[in-house]
Amino acid sequence: MPALTYLEAIRQGIWEEMERDPTVFCIGEDIGIYGGAFKVTDGFIDHFGPERVIDTPIAESAIVGAAFGASLTGMRPVAEFQFMDFIGCAFNQITNMVAKAHYRWGAPAPLVIRGPSGGNVHGGPFHSQNPEMYFVHTPGLKVVCPATAYDAKGLIKAAIRDNNPVIFFEHKYLYRRIKEDVPEEDFLVPLGRARLAREGQDLSIITYAAMVHVAMEAAELLTKEGLELEVLDLRTLSPIDREAIANTVRKTNKVMVLHEDVRTGGIAGEISAIINEEAFDSLDGPIVRLAALDTPVPFSPPQEEYFLPKVVDVVREARKLAAY
Amino acid sequence: MPKKKQPTLRRANTNRTHSRTPQEDSKSARQQRTYTLADYRLEKPSFELRQVRVGDTVRYEVSGNLSGPAPPIRDSKYLRKQQCIEIYRWMLLNRKMEAALENLYKQGKVVGGVYFGLGQAACSCASAYALRPDEWLGPLIRNQGSLLVRGFSASDILMQYMAKAGSPTNGRDASSHFGDIQNRNVVAPISTLGDLIPVLAGVALGARLQGRNIAVMTYIGDGGQSTGVTYEGLNFAAVQNLGLVLFVENNLWGYSTPADMQFCVKDLAERAIAYGIPGIIVDGTDPCQVYDAAHEACQRARRGEGPTLIEAKMMRMKGHAIHDAAEYVPKALFEYWKKRDPIARFEDYLVRQKKWLTNQENEKLIGAVESELEVQREIAVASPMPAPESAAGGAYCETPCHEIRPKYAMPKCRIKKSLSLKQKETAVHLK
Repeated sequence: MPALTYLEAIRQGIWEEMERDPTVFCIGEDIGIYGGAFKVTDGFIDHFGPERVIDTPIAESAIVGAAFGASLTGMRPVAEFQFMDFIGCAFNQITNMVAKAHYRWGAPAPLVIRGPSGGNVHGGPFHSQNPEMYFVHTPGLKVVCPATAYDAKGLIKAAIRDNNPVIFFEHKYLYRRIKEDVPEEDFLVPLGRARLAREGQDLSIITYAAMVHVAMEAAELLTKEGLELEVLDLRTLSPIDREAIANTVRKTNKVMVLHEDVRTGGIAGEISAIINEEAFDSLDGPIVRLAALDTPVPFSPPQEEYFLPKVVDVVREARKLAAY
Repeated sequence: MPKKKQPTLRRANTNRTHSRTPQEDSKSARQQRTYTLADYRLEKPSFELRQVRVGDTVRYEVSGNLSGPAPPIRDSKYLRKQQCIEIYRWMLLNRKMEAALENLYKQGKVVGGVYFGLGQAACSCASAYALRPDEWLGPLIRNQGSLLVRGFSASDILMQYMAKAGSPTNGRDASSHFGDIQNRNVVAPISTLGDLIPVLAGVALGARLQGRNIAVMTYIGDGGQSTGVTYEGLNFAAVQNLGLVLFVENNLWGYSTPADMQFCVKDLAERAIAYGIPGIIVDGTDPCQVYDAAHEACQRARRGEGPTLIEAKMMRMKGHAIHDAAEYVPKALFEYWKKRDPIARFEDYLVRQKKWLTNQENEKLIGAVESELEVQREIAVASPMPAPESAAGGAYCETPCHEIRPKYAMPKCRIKKSLSLKQKETAVHLK
């Protein structure tokens, strides 16, 4: 089993799906000869040909619109956004044209919109955002945010095979920083199911994407203090795994929700409501919310570090919650 | 207009071991760039609208020549007698369906607003008539005639407006907001304008990947063309050489705003020059001109020669929707365009000029349309309202609700088997 980076895993997943299914094709900016800004589709144009690896003008609404149109003819487009920060340019196509199609007129839209999101790479306000919640709030879309190479491959393959529009947020900080053994054979990770990244009985951290690794690091540190943290990696934000959330709360009775997205309107609020509905009686303390500041993502490294939740923040808040 | 010599991008084609790419295919089209606009009209209206202050109020005033007689219908280069009569029948059905809708509204049977295509029936019906059944159309709100031509029944449209359970969206959306990907190949519009343009381009892209060059048609108004997605979509279709036929329906009003306040060019067809595609001007009240331009554009599309922009000039003869009395429109404009009514002129052309229909045959045809419509109206009225709980579910396609399969043919893949997935360590944006 070869060790793959998070990026290679995504790349391999798309590659395998394109080899398996002739209706899968890629469309986006600079994805052809250049191979994409992050090289996710590097070499694809040589292998699959320019018919199936389509470079577009800088026109995000046209990319999504064209992907949707092609999907109406039974194709399965994989549309790349160079940065997920630019998804606002196609907001209307995604939320009004694509997301509502099945409900309104019974048109399935089996397309994937994928691209890099997230900070900690000093990309500044327009190359670091986490815009996932706009789409979690839109019925008709699925939203996926993988944290590991294994999941990234299994989830991108599942997203491509799904009959619904899937917004696939890759975390650019993880692209080349994490590596793990990923099976070469065909496997899928089902959308809508969370993963227990670490078992523990004292306190649960519910999180996703790059923050999973922050939570894991904090959990290792706290072991020395005799605290065993459970870490639940959501993997998919929509549909969200209510059962896994309720189960971990019932087990540890104390919850911290951690995300890189800004605090207000982040998924932590929704998860708190789910816990309230599903497992209120199991709570032995307040639900703690740890998230980025309610500001745009700042550029300068000391500012960005201050903006993002860190291991020390998780450790501090976990100690407080454990002692509650 | 002087023709500019365009620099051509030269590509190395020595040692060519591969087939032609879509980019190479579009190269010949690029060299045929047009800098002249075909104009099929027999009359070129010349008037201007201005905002003027009169006493305490600001209003629109029209100036120019509004007294000329209506132009004749231009003989079609392609339509035969029987096809002209068919289009005339669709136009009649379009108008009478809208009249029935107005009556249903007055009886309180319609939920929400009603949008009319009065004055635009020739453009809707004759354009859609140029498409083949396996090609695609994306209508706008006033293109109810196009939906009829694509095979939806009048009752489908009436039930949409009445929010009935039997409507194509089962009550979930209104008006012309419905489609069909199985049989009629119609993409449902959304309320924001221009968004259908990249979608129809994408339909043509999907078909091309399946080995078919098809024509796909959609519409945009003089108001809607102001949106950014209009540019994105048409430019994408042009660059990718996709068979989009875009009708720019210049009906002079975007809700209450006159065309003169939407754009500065003399003719919206001029936009075509900037996209590097052919542009054509037609009289939108003349079904023969509309059809001829649409047919030629569809043929271009089927030959893989890319998109065409057709500006159809006409006037919206009602308000934006039924609540809007259009009092902001100068009366003289209504009078001018009333003389250019598409149905009255086409009827005169068929009955008196061409003598393709006798008076008796014409009356019989009108009677048949009316009785068909009465049946359709009864079906629509009899359909129940949807059950409240039918609001729930359906936002997602859950297996096995739809099977996804290529519409035309499984795409033929030309995979270079010698190449493997090998990752190169390369410079990347933001490590």
